[in-house]
Amino acid sequence: MTGVLRRLLLIVGLPAALIVTWYAASANSENFYAPPLRQILAAFADTWTPERLRADVLPSLARLGAGYLLAGLIGIAAGVAIGASPRLRAAAEPVLEFFRAVPPPVLVPVIMLFAGIGNGMKVIVIVSGCVWPVLLNTVEGVRSTDSVLSDTTRAYGITGVARLRHLLLPAASPRIVAGLRQALSIAIILMVISEMFAASNGLGFTIVQFQRSFAIPEMWSGIILLGLLGFGLSELFRLAEHFALAWYHGLRDAQRRS
Amino acid sequence: MTAAGAGVARVRPAGRALLGLSGLAGLLVLVELLPRAGIVSDRSLPPTSRILAALADEAATAAFWVAVGDTLTAWAIGLAVAVAAGVAVGVLIGAVPVLRAVTASTVEFLRPIPSVALIPLAVLLYGSDLGSTLLLVVYAAFWQVLVQVLYGVADVDPVAEETARSFRFTAAARIRYVLWPTALPYVFTGVRLAASVALVLAVTAELVIGAPGLGAVIAVAQTSGAIPTMYALIVVTGLIGVAINLAARRAERHFLAWHQSVRGEVAA
Amino acid sequence: MRRFITGMTVLALVGAGAGCGSSEDTGAAPAGGVDQVKVGVIPIVDVAPIYLGQKQGFFGNRKIELTMESGQGGAAIVPGVVSGQFQFGFSNITSLLLAQTKNVPVKMVSNGVASTGEAGKDFGGVVVRKDSPITKAADLAGKKIAVNTLKNIGDTTVRESVRKAGGDPSTISFVEMPFPNMPAAVEAGQVDAAWVVEPSLSAVTAAGGRVVAWNYVDAAPNLTVAAYFASTKLIADKPDLVKRFTEAMNESLAYASAHPEEVREILGSYTKIDPKVRASLTLPKWPVEINKPSVETLSKLGAQDGIFGGATPDLDKILP
Repeated sequence: MTGVLRRLLLIVGLPAALIVTWYAASANSENFYAPPLRQILAAFADTWTPERLRADVLPSLARLGAGYLLAGLIGIAAGVAIGASPRLRAAAEPVLEFFRAVPPPVLVPVIMLFAGIGNGMKVIVIVSGCVWPVLLNTVEGVRSTDSVLSDTTRAYGITGVARLRHLLLPAASPRIVAGLRQALSIAIILMVISEMFAASNGLGFTIVQFQRSFAIPEMWSGIILLGLLGFGLSELFRLAEHFALAWYHGLRDAQRRS
Repeated sequence: MTAAGAGVARVRPAGRALLGLSGLAGLLVLVELLPRAGIVSDRSLPPTSRILAALADEAATAAFWVAVGDTLTAWAIGLAVAVAAGVAVGVLIGAVPVLRAVTASTVEFLRPIPSVALIPLAVLLYGSDLGSTLLLVVYAAFWQVLVQVLYGVADVDPVAEETARSFRFTAAARIRYVLWPTALPYVFTGVRLAASVALVLAVTAELVIGAPGLGAVIAVAQTSGAIPTMYALIVVTGLIGVAINLAARRAERHFLAWHQSVRGEVAA
Repeated sequence: MRRFITGMTVLALVGAGAGCGSSEDTGAAPAGGVDQVKVGVIPIVDVAPIYLGQKQGFFGNRKIELTMESGQGGAAIVPGVVSGQFQFGFSNITSLLLAQTKNVPVKMVSNGVASTGEAGKDFGGVVVRKDSPITKAADLAGKKIAVNTLKNIGDTTVRESVRKAGGDPSTISFVEMPFPNMPAAVEAGQVDAAWVVEPSLSAVTAAGGRVVAWNYVDAAPNLTVAAYFASTKLIADKPDLVKRFTEAMNESLAYASAHPEEVREILGSYTKIDPKVRASLTLPKWPVEINKPSVETLSKLGAQDGIFGGATPDLDKILP
């Protein structure tokens, strides 16, 4: 019981302190763009009603989920292929780096040319941004596979799928997880950017509309909701990671105990 | 897969460059053919040749080089600040478990807040000067470094850590000889990710806010309907990204020569 | 973490200081008595007079040294003006009316740009593909139309076009996308029609597209489309600077109206519009006076379309 309480205190402590500071410091704010937190919180309650959540947040989450999953799959698959083949890596890297350096707001119009203006376009925008951390980390993870293990498997004639399943993926998995984690917050950012174009619903769309119509407390409440969403998703991620990497943490613990 | 497996096939540096160039050449040919074959309208995506012609026109103007300089300045300053802060905060938080527990929720809350949502705040504080761009660049790049550093610190081999402790290494020595070498590969991935995120954000900020730089020129080309020029500028952004990555790789190879991921490829 | 604390501190300072920091930028009597003035603009045809006026020395004569700050769209202009980072800004009328309903402390100081008022010869209109079955404004009812910004001057005037032609504007679905993307979207059939302005309008008609509605012309005679504005703080603190800016701006507007060839030439200095298009595109009008009845019309249309969220703009507070 005390363990749970302690954990709760750790999670809530610092944010609470910061919120109190913000509340006090902004209480008398007359700046139009930095309204008192009191107003923002009031706007939060008025703005994010269950209907609003269903109408704007759900579609966003659906696109986010689809884009994130796709990016994960593509990133890991391409990452394993590229990481395992120096030749492929040399050929693909400049092109990949090239696209990675193009800012999403200028990439979106180009994607619109090919993918239209529907949900598909928004999912592709999300994929185009958050595939990189997964891809890069997978490549690095595969590259740093222990050479003794690698030679051993080869000596035993373990190849193809078995090699992938028992050597490369496990070896790369801590890096892959780090990449997936980074991709998650990038996916949220891209979700917002994709909804700045040709959208008619969504969390990002709503925030931009608030900003444009000078509904500043509402805009801040949307940004807070984005933060909460990110926090919620990252907690989910932590749970998933806990199960997926149980062997890795177990190994570390075992090493610690011995 | 086996023939080209890690640590077996080695590609000479010259070969690497050639392969990389062939990849880029393939892209150029594709963009030349798509509009010519009528798959996309050439008014929306002009063929490579026209983009390159527009690029040559741009490169002949002084304003273009000033814009490139502005963007690179914002990128370099922003990245340096983000990396320094990210590594310092990451090592501190990572090395002290209590700090990590206390800050975890706040970090996870702040990280996904898109830099683009901070544009009004940036303009409020700095107008359309370099400061606006820097705020957005640092905010976005900082998290990239921080998260990698945190993972790197968590990856420290417990046996090495215990050994260091039993040899009564000081905290500073443990950080220097145990924690830092383990975290360094992660730090480098973080820096590489941050380097490109910083470039993306620098251009985005210039594009939306109008701070001087390549992004502002792209905005002008866009609103003027000068499509080939717009693509030419996007190409420049992409090329800068490639150059940044090459430089980061070179630095990584230099500093991580001892590490597994590099060891397989240097001596050849 | 540290960033957050700095960020919060900064935010707190902004809140507590409420404009203290900004007064330094608009600070009194800079060296030589010349005022350094930053103007937030969008790099489009509409703002040609201010560039032309700068070149002609209309601002320099009045001891104003101009710097133009131009970004994509207007996302940064209003916050920049309110915080004092920019002294003046350029914005369309509907956005300014919207700002007024939310009590954003800004006020117009001079005219910006106006419609030509002539159907067939305006600088913005609703276009369709060559082979589209849509031939007149009434046909737009029930269709999907692209506008650059939702709930703004584009959709509210397009609705009025359709309404006046006898169509039902409530059945139109508007989609937001940047002007330069519209020609491709219309051609590919992603949208049925698009509201475009120059130079995209020239691009569409050159490719065979047809204009089916002149929404600015339909909305009101000689519609004022945009204006220059300042923060109420600047207007109260430095009435003399605002007066000189307005005078210089008025002289620039008049000069631009009288010298269209010089306008086409100056476009080459701050835009990248193709020289051929630059020579042939339709220029807007730059009258010195804001057409108040047309602003009232925009206010009425906006209220009718729910753009102001139920509020009614107080025109006395936003008009100069």
